[in-house]
Amino acid sequence: MVRNGQQSGVKAAALTRRAALGLGAGGMAFMLAPRPGRGAGAVPKRVAVFDWGLAETLLGLGMQPVTVAETAGYREWVIEPALPEGIADCGLRIEPNFELLAAIRPDLILITPELDSLRASFARIAPTETLAIYTPDGAPWDKAREALTAMARLIGRETDGAALLARVDGTLSAARERIGPAPRPPVLLVNFMDKRHVRIYGRNSIFGAVLERLGLRNAYAGWTSFWGFATLGIEHLAASGDAQLFYFEPIPEEARAAFAERPLWQALPFVREGRVAALPPVWSFGGMMSAERLARVLGDKLAASTASSDEARSGQGVRHE
Amino acid sequence: MNSTAHSAAPASSRLFGAGPAILASGLIVLAGLLTWQGLAARLPAADWMDAMLWPDLADMREVLVHYSWLPRLLTALLCGAALGLSGAILQQVLRNPLASPTTLGVSAGAQLALTLAALLAPGLLAVAREWIAVAGASAVLGLVFALAWNKALSPLSMVLGGMVLSLYCGALTALLIIFSQNYLVGLLIWGAGSLSQQDWSAVTYLAPRVIGGAVLAAFLVRPLSVVGLGDDGARSLGVSLTATRFAAMSLAVLLAAMVVSAVGVIGFIGLAAPPLAMLAGARRFGQRLLWAPIIGAALLWLADQFVQMAAGVYGDLAPTGALTALFGSPLLLWLLPRLRVNAEPPSAAPIVAARAARPGRLLLILAAVLTVAVLLALVIGRGLEGWSAADAGALLPWRWPRTLGALAAGAMLAASGVLLQRLTGNAMASPEVFGISAGAALGLIVLIFAVPGPDRIMQIGAGSIGAFLALAGVLALAGRSGFAPDRLLLAGIALSALFDALVVALTATGDPRAVTVLAWLTGSTYRVTGPDALTTLAVGLVLGALLSLTARWADMLPLGGPTAQALGMHVRRARLAILILTAGLSATATLVVGPLTFVGLIAPHLARMLGFQRALPQLAGAALIGALIMVSADWLGRTLLFPRQVPAGLVAALIGAPYFMWRMRRP
Repeated sequence: MVRNGQQSGVKAAALTRRAALGLGAGGMAFMLAPRPGRGAGAVPKRVAVFDWGLAETLLGLGMQPVTVAETAGYREWVIEPALPEGIADCGLRIEPNFELLAAIRPDLILITPELDSLRASFARIAPTETLAIYTPDGAPWDKAREALTAMARLIGRETDGAALLARVDGTLSAARERIGPAPRPPVLLVNFMDKRHVRIYGRNSIFGAVLERLGLRNAYAGWTSFWGFATLGIEHLAASGDAQLFYFEPIPEEARAAFAERPLWQALPFVREGRVAALPPVWSFGGMMSAERLARVLGDKLAASTASSDEARSGQGVRHE
Repeated sequence: MNSTAHSAAPASSRLFGAGPAILASGLIVLAGLLTWQGLAARLPAADWMDAMLWPDLADMREVLVHYSWLPRLLTALLCGAALGLSGAILQQVLRNPLASPTTLGVSAGAQLALTLAALLAPGLLAVAREWIAVAGASAVLGLVFALAWNKALSPLSMVLGGMVLSLYCGALTALLIIFSQNYLVGLLIWGAGSLSQQDWSAVTYLAPRVIGGAVLAAFLVRPLSVVGLGDDGARSLGVSLTATRFAAMSLAVLLAAMVVSAVGVIGFIGLAAPPLAMLAGARRFGQRLLWAPIIGAALLWLADQFVQMAAGVYGDLAPTGALTALFGSPLLLWLLPRLRVNAEPPSAAPIVAARAARPGRLLLILAAVLTVAVLLALVIGRGLEGWSAADAGALLPWRWPRTLGALAAGAMLAASGVLLQRLTGNAMASPEVFGISAGAALGLIVLIFAVPGPDRIMQIGAGSIGAFLALAGVLALAGRSGFAPDRLLLAGIALSALFDALVVALTATGDPRAVTVLAWLTGSTYRVTGPDALTTLAVGLVLGALLSLTARWADMLPLGGPTAQALGMHVRRARLAILILTAGLSATATLVVGPLTFVGLIAPHLARMLGFQRALPQLAGAALIGALIMVSADWLGRTLLFPRQVPAGLVAALIGAPYFMWRMRRP
């Protein structure tokens, strides 16, 4: 695969230069070409994946990756499906370690479009496939489903893939049922960045898609990046005073401290009227597993608040901590 | 600047020049109109006074005006005034129209301290954010003083030390952010200087300190006016140079650190306000000290009004600090040909070393060391089972392109650094200061955000276009002044500032693609393929051969334009040829390993310190040193935090800067 002759001129120069440098590298390159052992029909067993959205999807399909990038970060920010101990950390998501990857010898490498420019390098180690969830046309829900199905096909688990999609759909409709048909305030989903700013998720985020499918209205309809979020000063939340605000843990200490002492925060209608609640961490740039997790935790919160709504109406005060 | 000579006389009656007043009024009227319009959209005029002074907490509109809109306005004014004052003092002390809190590393030091605190003691950050920033800024200032102490705090060595420290802190901060991006997005926003407010804490923090600083500054008018005369003049008038400078710098840096700690890094205001005041007619230091803060406040107020207008009700797409720098740089470029630059030539080159007795033998030793380093980098590494040289054969295809790319790029950046330093006669010159790296980087950033997953060819194309546009822009600008060294340097710095502003603005949006840009910027050889490395080497060899033809010019140019001309040189043509060569070298190297400013800055210095005095030996020596630094840096970057990879440019900065500073301190 190294020698598929795409840039034959440069390659010829490369070979003479290598020889001239006396590094003997020309011969070595063969050793990194994919092993001939796997025929076209064989099913990959050792899958390397870097992006956490793809990693969660692979785990959701019931397959353990041989390596994932930034495993500690995955355990802190994505959490579910749990990443088993002992899986090799392949370095940063934006720069997976080629030397380590070559030593691990995966038989399939899954990348996202951000790494497409390095595709040729990955392909020297193992067959490489690009699966996109976040693209400029911004439909992460559809893309995440397609990525899941495509991944299931690549690892020969089409049935598991279909079952997983059905399970996610089931979780979503169950959550929708628990939340109930009663009119609900629109929802704001935010991460606190510091004491002055939030990251807010819009309609073209995977979170926005989940809200829609839960029958909830996203209170934020402004500009977002193609990852589906915008960074805003907290004062801008006042424009959606009628909303219910959910913020994801963990939040910076200074932001938590600012909650209590800020008249502006206290004056925000959803704070004054007790429509603020914390959610456990959910990975905001993930795939169907993160979508399912959001639906579950949001369903839990909203179902609980329905149960205790009489309490809330009788003026129990602000519920955020 | 030297016209400040007569200003030692008390001149309160002449303090209020007409020119600066007209400029400030113009800015204030414009900002005021925008502010009026913005407030009218929020609230009926009848309620304004109530909302500002006694807001009805049940009316969200009044709450917003009282706790967000008004504090934001006042914060902008206070920050602008503090930065204008700080810049005016610094520029007077350093006798350098480009001195600013940023050039002395104050902002970078504060940001590094906050980043460290966020990682190690997040609890402390919540309660003592301001003091952490002030501590970081002061530590950097202390280091700058320490570096320049042996040279009686000479302006040139202070700015040199400040810039090196600034780059050093920036590199450390980038490292921390790359390795824990999810935790530190808040710091990226802070780094971009958002003026968004939700309470009065920033105002109550800043107001007494800025006013106090202004009062203290008034006491400095007289002694600082004397310092403006130059070292000898001041000494003959009996002013203690060291004490005066120390007091003035401390005040200026504290002012800047307070702004940084309250709202973040707001570039350009401190740089722009004093020269604007001077251009408007504030010739004497006392006048500038009055008008620079006023113009600074008006500038930031106006800028922030534009930001709010553009953002509308929803969205803080670009933090104000990033934006001031964005539209500040073009203004600076426009001002350059009109700016009366200090005519004083740079004082003696800061690096003085004996000429090596046998430069040839020294070159051979350097080449031998480089060879050993390359072999070690190719053979030894880390893997699943720890350190090993066993799999070297199998891993060679992954290692040699990076090592060779690092080698070629390091040598090329070093060579272009030598040329730039000789051409401009300024020890601070380097490819980044020149703006070439910035141009290449701008091209690449535009590409990364315009096209998802661009391929290598597109990246090289976009980078080259950016680099050569930057070159053309700088040449056009500098051509008017016959390529005077100081103008070139200024133009390059303005371009670099524009580039920094763009990067900061992009990273502050939190877009995950920004992290790719950040990784590339710090000089990662990760994406270098075999053909990339060989292309770089080939271009380097060709340009290197051409370079040796210009060695005679490079020897004479530091003598200054008139002298060189008298020696029979066609100065303009020689400069142009060297500039084009330099641009080619830096652009090619930058495209492969990112804008590695430290190598282009340091390798020529080290070569000088080793005793390579003439142009050709210095070029060869610097190229070898640059290659050695980059090869070692790349190897360390690949192995230190395995499996994570620290970008080579960053490692080079981490190793190179302390060494450079240590050498610099030697008298």
